Amino acid sequence: MSGFKRDWNGNAKKRDGPKPPPKKAVQNQFTHMFENLRDELDQHHDRRERIIKASRDITALSKKIIFALQRVRKIDEELPKNIQAEIDTRLADIAKLLATIAPEIQGINRYRYARSLMCLEELVEALTFCHYLKTQTLISPEQLSPIMDDLVRKGITPSEDVAMTDVNELAAATPEKLEEKETPKVSLTQDDYLYGVFDLTGEMMRFATTSTALTGTMAGGGAEGDDQPRTIVEDMHELGSFFEMLPVGQGNRFQWEKKLEVTRQSVQKVERLGYDRTIRGSERPKGWIPDLSGGDQPEEE
Amino acid sequence: MPPMIDPSLFDQIKSKIEEDTTVRKELEQIVDELHQHVSFTQGLLSRIHSTPRSKYPTLLPQVEESIKSQVATVSKLSIFASQYPYYKYNHKWTRPLQDSLSTVLLFSWLSSPSHTLLSPSDVSSFYSVPLNLTSEDKFHITTEEYLLALVSIIDDLSRLAMNSVTLGDTALAVEISTFIKDLHAGFQVLNLKNDILRKRVDSIKYAVKKVEDVVYDLSLRGLIPAAGATEGETKKE
Repeated sequence: MSGFKRDWNGNAKKRDGPKPPPKKAVQNQFTHMFENLRDELDQHHDRRERIIKASRDITALSKKIIFALQRVRKIDEELPKNIQAEIDTRLADIAKLLATIAPEIQGINRYRYARSLMCLEELVEALTFCHYLKTQTLISPEQLSPIMDDLVRKGITPSEDVAMTDVNELAAATPEKLEEKETPKVSLTQDDYLYGVFDLTGEMMRFATTSTALTGTMAGGGAEGDDQPRTIVEDMHELGSFFEMLPVGQGNRFQWEKKLEVTRQSVQKVERLGYDRTIRGSERPKGWIPDLSGGDQPEEE
Repeated sequence: MPPMIDPSLFDQIKSKIEEDTTVRKELEQIVDELHQHVSFTQGLLSRIHSTPRSKYPTLLPQVEESIKSQVATVSKLSIFASQYPYYKYNHKWTRPLQDSLSTVLLFSWLSSPSHTLLSPSDVSSFYSVPLNLTSEDKFHITTEEYLLALVSIIDDLSRLAMNSVTLGDTALAVEISTFIKDLHAGFQVLNLKNDILRKRVDSIKYAVKKVEDVVYDLSLRGLIPAAGATEGETKKE
């Protein structure tokens, strides 16, 4: 800590007295044990750091996908081409990131780093939202997991010829070995799924608001059926009841209650939209676009 | 048109949440049991502060006895917890397990005349539970748990250093001082992050200061036993 004097060339001057050894490497009967423990701790901290970094990027990319999806105006099997293209590139980036951390979060490490993997919740939100806009249904965990597996596989494949050993060293020393082995999977926990779906309700609310405002119709299925097509209002109600009926998870009660409250608000906002449209919808000329700068737009959360 | 939510999805998720709740409840029972055994042992061990070393032969067997029931509970916990992802529920038992480890470490330190510290692998074989597993998803003792337990016996021993002087056993105070200083040096080897371990390890310096003060007081008054006569032989009643 203490500074040292320099001669006028800027080189460190020798002190008068005998210098203390540069580093007092205290050796006693415990040193060896602590050195081993240090290595174990370092391994854990380094891995955690790598996961957090990737996780942050995946979160950002997922948010961008969600923003892109919010530019969609109607529920349809085909997303607009430009939006689909944007999502595809983002997903490709996510796939690469997932592939780098996949070997690190296998087995016991999946839950060890669960709190550093908040990105998966965000990714579930993006994927469920995308699925909803295409099919108007809620994707199940079983449908999601092949999508995740596919992402990881795609993330690994293009980088095989490129040297990317530093991260994969844990999983496989050689690329051949990696191929032989089953590709590591990024599994979603039940919480990743449920909290992702909680957030989906918020996105659906925003989507309902903008699409109704801009198209003048409540988003919903095509009108080809003889019955009235199901609208997003009903879907929100169903999601709302779904969460209300589920028993509260014991692990994180607080977070659950908080998310449930936000979901309730979203459901009510969409309800209100449905009411407004029923009451005033016919009064509004086709193609009429409300003033979005208005103060009482429920668009903002 | 397919429904918004597949009807089977609700039941599937509901039953998973319920299963999780059951697991937690069962774990809580075992952890409670462990907690009770640990508290009792800690209580017994707190008597060292008023028990001269000559009376250890009556005190320590009682401690050993209650440690045995801790070990039994830990093995029960190990069998149960190994069925589930380790880190999903680890937070439920990590505190009582740390306390349990520290009673074992302290007990073995006190009961061996040369004051041996059980290494992580000694502890692991003492409990017959694996240590720091990195790939197999089973119950084990983590590195952090061992280190945290170590910090807490340092705290206890620094208190004992003072009380041993009161009981007239100055040699013990000096032995404790050497031990704590060596451990303190050991902890300096670690690269710590800003977490609970860091916070606890930071507190070791106060224990070091406490025993240094005791040793200083002793040396000032010429009360430190001659270097030749060490450990158990210099008991003063």
